[in-house]
Amino acid sequence: MNAFFAALWAEALKAYRSKVIWLSAAVVTILPLVDGMFMVILKNPERAKEMGLIGAKAQLVAGTATWPNFFYVMMMTGIAVGILFAFLTAWVFGREFSDRTAKELLALPTPRGTIVAAKFVLLAVWTQALALWIFGLSLVVVRAVDIPGDFSNLEAVSFGYFMGIAFLNYLLMPCAAYVASLGRGYLPPMAWIFFTLASAQLLQIMGWGEWYPWAVPALVGEMAGPKGGSIGVHSLLMVLAAFVAGLAATFAWWRSADQSR
Amino acid sequence: MKYAIETIGLSKNYGRVHAVDGVHLRVGPGEIYGFLGLNGAGKTTTIRALLGMIRPSAGEVRVLGEPVGPNGRGPWRRVGHMVEVPAAYPELTVRENLEVARRLQGIADKGATSRAIERLGIGAYADRAAGTLSTGNLHRLGLARAMLHEPELLILDEPANGLDPAGVVEIRELLAGLAHERGVTVFMSSHILTEVDRLATRIGVIHQGRLIEELEAAKMEALRSRRLIVEVRQPAAAYSALEGAGYSVTAENGGLFVTDARALESPDEVATLLVRAGAPPTKLLVEQEDLEAYFLRLTGEKS
Repeated sequence: MNAFFAALWAEALKAYRSKVIWLSAAVVTILPLVDGMFMVILKNPERAKEMGLIGAKAQLVAGTATWPNFFYVMMMTGIAVGILFAFLTAWVFGREFSDRTAKELLALPTPRGTIVAAKFVLLAVWTQALALWIFGLSLVVVRAVDIPGDFSNLEAVSFGYFMGIAFLNYLLMPCAAYVASLGRGYLPPMAWIFFTLASAQLLQIMGWGEWYPWAVPALVGEMAGPKGGSIGVHSLLMVLAAFVAGLAATFAWWRSADQSR
Repeated sequence: MKYAIETIGLSKNYGRVHAVDGVHLRVGPGEIYGFLGLNGAGKTTTIRALLGMIRPSAGEVRVLGEPVGPNGRGPWRRVGHMVEVPAAYPELTVRENLEVARRLQGIADKGATSRAIERLGIGAYADRAAGTLSTGNLHRLGLARAMLHEPELLILDEPANGLDPAGVVEIRELLAGLAHERGVTVFMSSHILTEVDRLATRIGVIHQGRLIEELEAAKMEALRSRRLIVEVRQPAAAYSALEGAGYSVTAENGGLFVTDARALESPDEVATLLVRAGAPPTKLLVEQEDLEAYFLRLTGEKS
């Protein structure tokens, strides 16, 4: 256990000292502010027209300034944040190869698996903290925007959906970690992110999204929207399977692959 | 434990390329083993195999009496290493980089970091981000990390690389001190042959993946060819006199070279002979082949 905490401390220090942690916080801070701005525009349709493109965009995304729409846009934000999570995963694993520090982690009393586990725990804390920050800031923004009506029920339900989406997104990260390890750097997981995004869109259009793990967070987001809907347990099991497979592949790779660079 | 390092038929293939081919290495405790080879000879691949970073295609590796790998298994608490160009987390300071290493090494003593910084003379840079260090200081940081936990065995890939001349001497003395005073075994690869020549107690030469020579440093002294260089104002007369006395002489670039053992043992007799022949020497020098020349001769022969 001491070895694990030593590895977690090391991972936390690396993240804390990097610019990435602040950059990720800055990126997610913008999202609730944009959501709030859409609502401000939609509260006044005349002003939306005057604003031209951004008004049209706001109407396209959110329609009218209501509490359900505010939280629905937040859910869409949660899906987009999955991309950011994948970037963070690419950084946490890929940087060891880009900075050529991976070789310093291999012949140590702390087992390689412990270091990999510490990276995944750091990512879990980091990504879920970002999700909490988005939700918390959204609540501040929504009060500032002052949309009429009662939203106390929506608040709790949206929190559940939003954190659920964030957690599902996290469960998809081990596959990105494996790609970063296998490809020894940042670029292969970037390619992976775009592949999963494009394939999720395609399979959703074809009606197979419920069976494709990378399409499931978006399906959960839609459940919280005006269309509603539901997903089966099989969809959640597919995400869980991707998580287990990604974890197993990443651990096996770090334990056994040749580290010749 | 008979050997600090032992490989039995170690081979590593990358496709059709035999990076390391049937290497048998035996390094005794307390030895300073110089591992010589040209670029691409298989030095770093061997070192990576010793550290369990790559899986051998064939053969066994034992370090400090324990089998190495798979799954990163090995006596790493007792081994310090530096592989190729040392790397550090650029945004962490020197101290933080060492602190990360200390914790991952499982060293409870917090003073170990400061001692390593002091030992490698990087105190002035302790609070500077590693990304801003010069190559030499980054190298010192790598050595500090290798020595942080007072290991019994140091496996170092090109330990003198990137250091200035004063640094090279400092590291040489540090490694010699560790070996002589604390009995630390040092396995070091190098292409700086003079460094190996001055430090190693045993030398192995790897060429095209094969260990082509392994011998005591003292024995190597005897194996290196020697010759007597003779310079005179009348080379023709000197040549005739030496040949007439039964010496084997060659003439090159205005100088005469004698390789007979009796000339090497008694150059004074050669001097007397030349004076009597009316061709007194202006220079008489017994020259021993340096490690570089020996190495090139050896690898040239084996190619």
